[in-house]
Amino acid sequence: MPHDHDDHDHDHDHDPLEQGPSLRVRALEELMVAKGLIDPVALDRIVEYYERETGPRNGAKVVARAWLEPDFRDWLLRDGTAAIHAMGFTGYQGEHMRVVANTPKLHNVIVCTLCSCYPWPVLGLPPAWYKGAAYRSRVVREPRAVLKEFGLEIGTDIEIKVWDSTAEIRYMVLPMRPADTEAFTLDQLAGLVTRDGMIGTARL
Amino acid sequence: MDGIHDLGGMHGFGPVPIETGDYVFKAQWQRRAFALAELLGSPVPYSADQHRQEIERMPAADYLKLDYFEKWIVGAEALLLQAGLVSEEELRTGRKLFDVDVARHPKVDAGNLIATMRAGAQLDFPDDAQKPRFTAGQNVRVTKDSPSGHTRSPRYLRGRAGQVVAGHGVFQFADAVAAGRGPEPQHCYTVAFTAGELWGRDAEAADMIHADLWESYLEPA
Repeated sequence: MPHDHDDHDHDHDHDPLEQGPSLRVRALEELMVAKGLIDPVALDRIVEYYERETGPRNGAKVVARAWLEPDFRDWLLRDGTAAIHAMGFTGYQGEHMRVVANTPKLHNVIVCTLCSCYPWPVLGLPPAWYKGAAYRSRVVREPRAVLKEFGLEIGTDIEIKVWDSTAEIRYMVLPMRPADTEAFTLDQLAGLVTRDGMIGTARL
Repeated sequence: MDGIHDLGGMHGFGPVPIETGDYVFKAQWQRRAFALAELLGSPVPYSADQHRQEIERMPAADYLKLDYFEKWIVGAEALLLQAGLVSEEELRTGRKLFDVDVARHPKVDAGNLIATMRAGAQLDFPDDAQKPRFTAGQNVRVTKDSPSGHTRSPRYLRGRAGQVVAGHGVFQFADAVAAGRGPEPQHCYTVAFTAGELWGRDAEAADMIHADLWESYLEPA
């Protein structure tokens, strides 16, 4: 390890109360700017971009459109990459997309057991639990027990398909459209779609 | 490598620490760490696979203990050290002790940044570059190969039989990219495994587990 987190006696002029990772990140940022390897403006922009322009609201628009337009739904399930990119949701960790549809007899759930692969353009950055050891270790072995912890009981008449994102393809679940939403507009439908619904850890 | 990161199927991690609501960074330093690790890939340079490999190489106890974004910084620092762009002392103090050749390590220009991120990375290759060895419906088995370097063949699938459900064309090969050998493109497939094949009589139900596997991880079954 390049430095010891518990030792802050070394020579620096940072706030002595600034601890551990916070200090480490600030030291690296200052060093990178001083060396000319990072433009501090770019650093601010990248954070703004991911916080404002990616996120599950994008995925929700994709889902709502699939519910309203059967042709779009077919395209989305046949070529998720093209259909999602056509809606403008492109970029890192969304280069190759596969969308898997829930049905009354099938429930899908996504994971990355090896790291934290997740479709950033449509879902944003993953929640902490998605990146953590419990979810990653267990959802491929006992998906029903894991989903139960999320409050989702999957009956034995329903098959579960788990999708482990081990290569360059990123997954998104197309949830079932809730009942009694025939009169809903696209925006109203999108408002019903949750992040967990598109991971597969919730029903809508 | 058979490291702690390869978590699929392990016992002992307890309940999922569920949090509801859309993602937010919990601390300002996490934002900066994320952005730093993303931006440094260009000037150093390093790929996502090389960055993952460095995170996988950290001591297992640290992997489980450190915050996710601190791990990203550990990975970026290791790659900066390997490239000779920083010294241990500089990382410790945050004070520059030597200059680097910025012509050889150009920083990401803020003006082009958003367009670059929207464009994404080029990960695939023309399909006609090579013939696929497997087709959808074919039975395959994951090799038992257990390389010491970065690999995307998870332990819980090695030696197990499954069925190809889709071919996805030709992609850069993560093992080769992480090892610095270049893309070594090869076909990649989605393979379906029954829960019974993976967990035997301890399978929870008759469910299916899918993974995307490069051709060299697979053999006919």
